[in-house]
Amino acid sequence: MDKVEDKRNKVFGGKYFDRWWIMVLAVVGLILLLIFARPDPYQRIFLFVREGIWTTVYITCVSFVLVLFFGLFVALGRLSKSTIVRGVSTVYVEVIRGIPMLVQLIFWYFAFPSVMQQLGHAFNIQSMIEYRANAVTMAILGLTVGYSAYMSEVYRAGIQSISRGQMEAARSLGMTYFQAMRYVILPQAIRVILPPVGNEFITLLKDSSLVSVVAVADMTRRGREFMAANFIPIQTWIMVALLYLVLTLLAARAVTWLERKMKMEKSS
Amino acid sequence: MTPIIHIKDVHKQFGAVQALKGVSLDVNRGEVVVIIGPSGSGKSTLLRCINRLEEFNSGQILVDEIPLDSAENINTVRTEVGMVFQQFNLFPHLSVVDNITLAQKIVRKRSAPEAEKVARELLVKVGIPEKADYFPGQLSGGQQQRVAIARALAMNPKIMLFDEPTSALDPEMIQEVLDVMMNLAKEGMTMVVVSHEIGFAKAAADRVILMDGGLIIEEAPPEELFTHPKEERTKAFLSKVL
Ligand SMILES: Nc1ncnc2c1ncn2[C@@H]1O[C@H](COP(=O)(O)OP(=O)(O)OP(=O)(O)O)[C@@H](O)[C@H]1O
Ligand SMILES: [Mg+2]
Repeated sequence: MDKVEDKRNKVFGGKYFDRWWIMVLAVVGLILLLIFARPDPYQRIFLFVREGIWTTVYITCVSFVLVLFFGLFVALGRLSKSTIVRGVSTVYVEVIRGIPMLVQLIFWYFAFPSVMQQLGHAFNIQSMIEYRANAVTMAILGLTVGYSAYMSEVYRAGIQSISRGQMEAARSLGMTYFQAMRYVILPQAIRVILPPVGNEFITLLKDSSLVSVVAVADMTRRGREFMAANFIPIQTWIMVALLYLVLTLLAARAVTWLERKMKMEKSS
Repeated sequence: MTPIIHIKDVHKQFGAVQALKGVSLDVNRGEVVVIIGPSGSGKSTLLRCINRLEEFNSGQILVDEIPLDSAENINTVRTEVGMVFQQFNLFPHLSVVDNITLAQKIVRKRSAPEAEKVARELLVKVGIPEKADYFPGQLSGGQQQRVAIARALAMNPKIMLFDEPTSALDPEMIQEVLDVMMNLAKEGMTMVVVSHEIGFAKAAADRVILMDGGLIIEEAPPEELFTHPKEERTKAFLSKVL
């Protein structure tokens, strides 16, 4: 099955050139066409929203790296033998998954600093009284805390899909729990979890637009500002939507590439 | 001479099931003990208590005079006790050679060339040097089990535990694994083997133990146990397997 697919994809001197690239090129082409054929308003919109692209990419990538790390930590907690550790991580996951991401982001930006200041007053700690939230930091914190709950479930399913005998064989050779995880369980689980992890990344990329409500000048917020100043909603949001589409298509492409690379590594 | 494995009055409970109801057993250095008994009698559980893959509820187990009470002790004991499983449990993402070198490098802290040298020597010993760079999925069951034995031996264990090492194998592959085990026994390895291969027990065992219902029912040298069993339950069990 893989062989057939590979053949279909191998056009232009053995380079992968499949429907994803065609989509990306089509969307990029459309954006360029709009910008050059109709510089007013599309070029103006693009130049204005452009600064937000970097913010969106930056917030998404930084949050995702943290989520990859913290989510694993939570997953190990949920699989722990200790009732307390397991209880704490389970409560965390269930609570976070039950609260809308938007509400969580609003909490971190608007409510959390207040909590810090009040605690500062209560215990008379000057640095806490003067605490001010940085929008980007709070957005990253909010996305990380929120998405780690989902990511931990992805990790947990992946780890549990590996047969118990693997851990036992590793432990019987004298490896510690963490060595067994690092060298035996996770390298096998990663193949199982790569597709859902990729999905999480793309969902996170899209959900990062929520940070626009907490004073982060991402693509969505730049779009709103442009619309408010120029009153051309249709053109503004067509441009913003196309820019998001390029990013998500590229991300999806990167995930497929990684999966394929792992498959090839395994079969070689 | 003190026994290398000392098991005293060990109890193990799984929820409502009492898997071990007070088992005591001493195994001497260089001894080969074969454990037989009906399904669910606690054979695997006893074996797994020896390297603490299973925690027991009461009683005492000393391995080479080390009590299994702290995490460090458990890891020390595990490096001295090799285990071979019914389902092989090779690491499928690693080549044969990497399966055998992994624990040597991270537990025994051997250098990569040193570990690989050990691995290749052991592959010669178990009779499949040519499979070093294959992946487990590319090997037959018998070859996989021999790799699993080599992997355990690479840690230079003083004791080897085998839990039904040939039960998952096609009949024509059983002998190649038993041959490897037989050679180990001849070299003086201390072995505790759960197996219903009566031929192996007769040829290699110093002592055969019959377990039933979480207890040791009878123990004797193989010729005695197989020909003149004393206990009714032993007779009943042997009539089924012989
Ligand atoms: N992880 C477990 N959880 C619950 N019960 C278990 C567990 N492991 C074993 N048991 C129970 O403990 C008893 C002894 O099991 P054990 O695996 O030691 O038997 P065995 O003699 O090895 O049997 P077999 O010949 O089928 O391998 C059985 O009743 C079994 O159902
Ligand atoms: Mg068993």
